[in-house]
Amino acid sequence: MSDIPPGGDRRDPGRIDRRSSPALKGHLELLARMSGHLAVTLNIEDTIQKALELIVSYVNAEAGSLFLLDDNGTQLICKASVGPVDVSGLTLKSDEGIVGQCVTANESNMVRDVSTDPGFAQSVDAVTGFHTRSILCTPMSVQGVCIGAIELINKKDKSLLFSEPDLMMLKTLASAAALAIRNARMAEELVEQERVSRELELASEMQRSLLPDARPAPFPVHGVNLPAHEVSGDFYDFYELGDGRIYFSLGDVSGKGMDAALLMSKTASLFRCLGKTIDEPAKLLDTINRELCETAIHGMFVTMVCGILDPASGNIKLANAGHEPPLVHDAEGNFSAIPASAPPLGILPLNVDDHDVRDEIFNLGGGTLYIFTDGVTEGDIGNGKRLEVEGFKEIITGKADAPLAERIEAVISSLKGSGRKRHDDITIMAVEDPAAGRQAAEDSTPLRSIRTLTFLSSPEELARVRDAVRETCRTCGCPEAVTRDLLIAIGEASQNIVRHAYKDSNNSPATLEILCGDGILEFHLRDMAPPVDREILEPVWPKEVQAGGIGLCLIHDIMDEVEYLPVESGTGNRLRMAKHFERDN
Amino acid sequence: MKHEVTTKGDTAIIALKGEVDLESSPVARELLLSNVAGKKNILVDLSAVSYIDSSGVASLVEALQASRKNGTGLALAAASEAALRVLELARLDKVFTIYDTVDDGLNA
Repeated sequence: MSDIPPGGDRRDPGRIDRRSSPALKGHLELLARMSGHLAVTLNIEDTIQKALELIVSYVNAEAGSLFLLDDNGTQLICKASVGPVDVSGLTLKSDEGIVGQCVTANESNMVRDVSTDPGFAQSVDAVTGFHTRSILCTPMSVQGVCIGAIELINKKDKSLLFSEPDLMMLKTLASAAALAIRNARMAEELVEQERVSRELELASEMQRSLLPDARPAPFPVHGVNLPAHEVSGDFYDFYELGDGRIYFSLGDVSGKGMDAALLMSKTASLFRCLGKTIDEPAKLLDTINRELCETAIHGMFVTMVCGILDPASGNIKLANAGHEPPLVHDAEGNFSAIPASAPPLGILPLNVDDHDVRDEIFNLGGGTLYIFTDGVTEGDIGNGKRLEVEGFKEIITGKADAPLAERIEAVISSLKGSGRKRHDDITIMAVEDPAAGRQAAEDSTPLRSIRTLTFLSSPEELARVRDAVRETCRTCGCPEAVTRDLLIAIGEASQNIVRHAYKDSNNSPATLEILCGDGILEFHLRDMAPPVDREILEPVWPKEVQAGGIGLCLIHDIMDEVEYLPVESGTGNRLRMAKHFERDN
Repeated sequence: MKHEVTTKGDTAIIALKGEVDLESSPVARELLLSNVAGKKNILVDLSAVSYIDSSGVASLVEALQASRKNGTGLALAAASEAALRVLELARLDKVFTIYDTVDDGLNA
């Protein structure tokens, strides 16, 4: 049958004959149908299988396979297969067989009779047991780039041989299939990007949760971490030990990717967990180092500073493993650096006994300790200049009298000022001698908790509250007249808990804590009622004489300070009231 | 809180004693309002009040308003330091007539 001329068989639906409108119509219908099928699926597996099934059926082939080049372009992998033998998963070198030639040359190929073609890879038939007689093969290209090829085997007619019109039809369909596959790949990439971006967001949130909550002044430690990307390789942390000392740490993991972020999370967790039992910074760094070395990731390391502040004395015990030297800014305005005594963590085991890593012990003497990552000193301050340690010192010197958080903010805004995207994470932590804060604040007399009374929200309990106030006032040397006023104010505030916070539902708990300092009494009232709307807590004197509505006004008239404090758990109300007085002699 | 009511002519002398707070002020309120309703002039003796809070003061204000409505009089007398201080803080020391002693109130 090899003498049938191309296009000569009128029953051949794949034939292209310009004179034959039914054939052309069929051709266009097929393209439309195939495009329609391919448009509804963005799943790449479905797209490939569907495309091949349509092509095989329309060209009337016995079998077909669709090969795609792998990411390296070195192998062709069969992604879909139609016919008596399933060859999906079959792998060929990118230049192997007729498919390989087709892809390499980016040209179609028709082998009417494989038995006479030296390019045919006999190995496939040997494995599958399928008898290949004739092959039609065309590359799938999008914008000149070949992504794979479609191969059809044996025409389903007596001759088993393909013809030129079959090849032309296959070429057209392969272009459509290539486009569909590329679109499906792009869709998959978008979905993947979206997934990765969501994962990063979660990781970023998780990392932020590892950082400690900012504590209001006069708490002596403050830190800031600004990641350059979603996740950070820097961290800082601080927490109080049972005896009032404060453990603090700052670290920088090499690299900036997700691997750095994960190592950062691990190191930060180790610090928080182990620090509670190891109160010697050098020993702690040694222990963390051992843990990191045991599960070392090749080429990754952590530079880390950790230390303990004793707020009562201003003493600091600190160890530095490979980190940029922290700076102490003393009360006279001089800076001194504390260089690393050990290499970064995660590389080699340290030996504490041989002083590979050692604790530095010093007193802040009214000064402040600054620990920062190289993202700060190497940060861009505009005009291609970096902040450097000198720039850091200048800013701190200029802001020496400002509160801790403000000093750190000044350094950070000098870096943000360049208006360019940051290249590195920025982390700064400052540890202040609490004695400095005490001197600076006029009214920062230390307060002692004298009495804590728990009472129930019923009118009968208010006498107990007044008794506690009366007794504590006497203990603290508060004059009679001031005591009388305090009884009124605290009485009104407690009454408000009974009547308004708990809305007269008796027997709900409340506490009154009374603190005393030199010439000052503080009263902290706490209830567990739903939070009261702050607007109705503003004291407004009634315009006309009326029965009631003056309790808050009395409180504000009597007390020197009235403040509603934030409540950690989100429920309840906390009222702080303070009164200054001159002690009875 | 304790109380004592004595009548002299058409005046009821109501002596409040001890602590007039959220617990006891309902009693004080009832006592004051019932006497006002009984068309009595009222003289409230505050000499033995050791503590009075805004709810106690509210009872006095309510009784004053009720007495004005029914055309009787209500005055305070012999206010203790504690009572006077609250009335001052509440800016009511000029709203009430406050006599130095009960006798002054009766003779007025």
